[in-house]
Amino acid sequence: MKTIKTVLAAASLAGAAFAGSQAAAFELGVVAFQMSAETQARCANTVGAEAEKLGWEAQVLNSNGALETHASQLDNLIQKGVDAMILCMSKPVQFDAQFLAAKEAGIPVITISSGASPHTMFDVTPNEYIMAAEAAIYTLGTINFEGNILAQRFESNTGARIRGAILDAVLVENPQVEIVGEHSMARTKSWQDDVRNGMSALILQNAGNFDAVWASFDGQALIIDDLLKEAGMEKGDVSLVSIDGGQEVYRRIKDPYSMMTATVAIPFEDMAASAVSMMKQIAVDGTPKDDLVPGPYLFIPATLVDKTNVDEFLNE
Amino acid sequence: MSTRKVIEMYGTALAGLGLFVFLSIFANNFLSSANLFNVLKQVSFLSMLAFGFTFALITSELDLAFANVCSLAAVVIGFLISTDVAWPLAVAAGVATGFLAGLLNGLLVTVAKVPSLISTLGTASIANGLAFMITGGVAFVGRWDPNFLFLGRGKLGPIPVIILFTLVLFLIVLTLSTQTRTGVHLQATGENEEAARRSGIDTRRAKIIGLVLSGLAAGITAVFLVANLSSAAPQMAGDFLLNGIAATLLGMTMFTPAKPNILGTFVGSLIIVMLSNGLVLLGAQYYIQDIMLGIIIILSVAVSASVLKRAAFAL
Repeated sequence: MKTIKTVLAAASLAGAAFAGSQAAAFELGVVAFQMSAETQARCANTVGAEAEKLGWEAQVLNSNGALETHASQLDNLIQKGVDAMILCMSKPVQFDAQFLAAKEAGIPVITISSGASPHTMFDVTPNEYIMAAEAAIYTLGTINFEGNILAQRFESNTGARIRGAILDAVLVENPQVEIVGEHSMARTKSWQDDVRNGMSALILQNAGNFDAVWASFDGQALIIDDLLKEAGMEKGDVSLVSIDGGQEVYRRIKDPYSMMTATVAIPFEDMAASAVSMMKQIAVDGTPKDDLVPGPYLFIPATLVDKTNVDEFLNE
Repeated sequence: MSTRKVIEMYGTALAGLGLFVFLSIFANNFLSSANLFNVLKQVSFLSMLAFGFTFALITSELDLAFANVCSLAAVVIGFLISTDVAWPLAVAAGVATGFLAGLLNGLLVTVAKVPSLISTLGTASIANGLAFMITGGVAFVGRWDPNFLFLGRGKLGPIPVIILFTLVLFLIVLTLSTQTRTGVHLQATGENEEAARRSGIDTRRAKIIGLVLSGLAAGITAVFLVANLSSAAPQMAGDFLLNGIAATLLGMTMFTPAKPNILGTFVGSLIIVMLSNGLVLLGAQYYIQDIMLGIIIILSVAVSASVLKRAAFAL
């Protein structure tokens, strides 16, 4: 009996501690669709950290790349009655019902790199079309607009799909450049394996017959870089260009043994910080949303990073 | 009934009740009607899939394909709807996809004599490949016919339609598993196949039925998943594999200990979803949920190991 009482007391204390932590602070729900992707983890973690700087209580959730999990987590946060939500790489059409429910519950939602929804405040995003054009043209420039390239795509993400479509548009005007092999990453839950398997086959198949590799995001490029090194290539043999940015990518751009040539650096931390700052102005200070962001998007500029400016981005 | 027996039969359910009370006291809004309906709606998806897995396990067979079959059925529905096929036909095709996958599993196990652990892993891979083949990796997304979306999002009064459907389904499968000759044959086959066969039960048929029911449940769940999210993606049911198995294993720790049972699976689903919902309401970070699920699986397996071992290692 004594043991049971002790367990009950401990449970009560734990509950009280949880309940206490739910007290009056501004509660922000943060959901990332797939935190095993570095960019999403950077986004969600920065939102959490920025919110805590404001004295808010931030609860970060990861949907593990599963649609139904994401929907359930949004539903649960709405039922919890959080004061606001910031979502990283969500999907407005699929979660239209949840976004509407949040709106009806008076919970403001800001999304990051997700796309626009009539039920959210706005989406904080880089202009994918501009970034994609920069990356595509830079890739072609590294081979003097003539030669063969390999492409690693990702069609099930809107941003990455736009990047691929812009690459195709740029290639239409540059017929001397041909895509000799391409792989489309499809499995979001085991995407690293998917990229590794697909691209290792393409690299073997096209050995000696390609001059550059274009990847739809840097996570793919890092895997491809390893594969190129395993294939015995050295810096300068082929160029490798992608989009997103991050310390590891910058290190590799500078690394004399890496094929990584350039990236378009998306300031995920700045985007996350902007989202939190805007949320404070809207949800706490009462600034009308349209005074801050008139349309459905808040565009954040991205910067092309190569060996000429990589030092400005490296932390070390 | 001795205290030990009561704890054996009802301990997990009582712990679930304790969890309910705990969350009612300490988690803000847990007891609100909107949240309770939210919990029951989430239970619906999980329990529908887990009912199917339970039927397979009742016959001592593992169906590790149910999540991928569910995703495939969802993709079939999404593909047909997005190509302007009438949604009732698309729904029928999705359910049929689940049925056929279950039948394939049943035939592989009983005719080709491939152990279910292996055959359903193979079927899972095939289903996954087909789902990607149909979609090219890009989800079917649309603002589809409201009548179809009503299945996943609609309400009758304050109650989501899917909850009512799940309750009806629960009563049907509970009756099927406990009150019918088929149910008795499934259980007898699972408990001792040789003895069941000698007593005149067609054990091959029973195993096929168990696996077909699992596939059918995956197909039915796919209909509601697609209607709820207004989209269909190749791995949309991926997260349900672990949760569905966990719900069934948790169910095996109660009512008829160490035996898969529908009532236990339903309560197991309820506990898992309640915990997941409660952790969010209590402000727990994302990784806590995965850790808790892992603990539940380990504890459940520890309690109900014998049946699982029989199913998993009947090579």
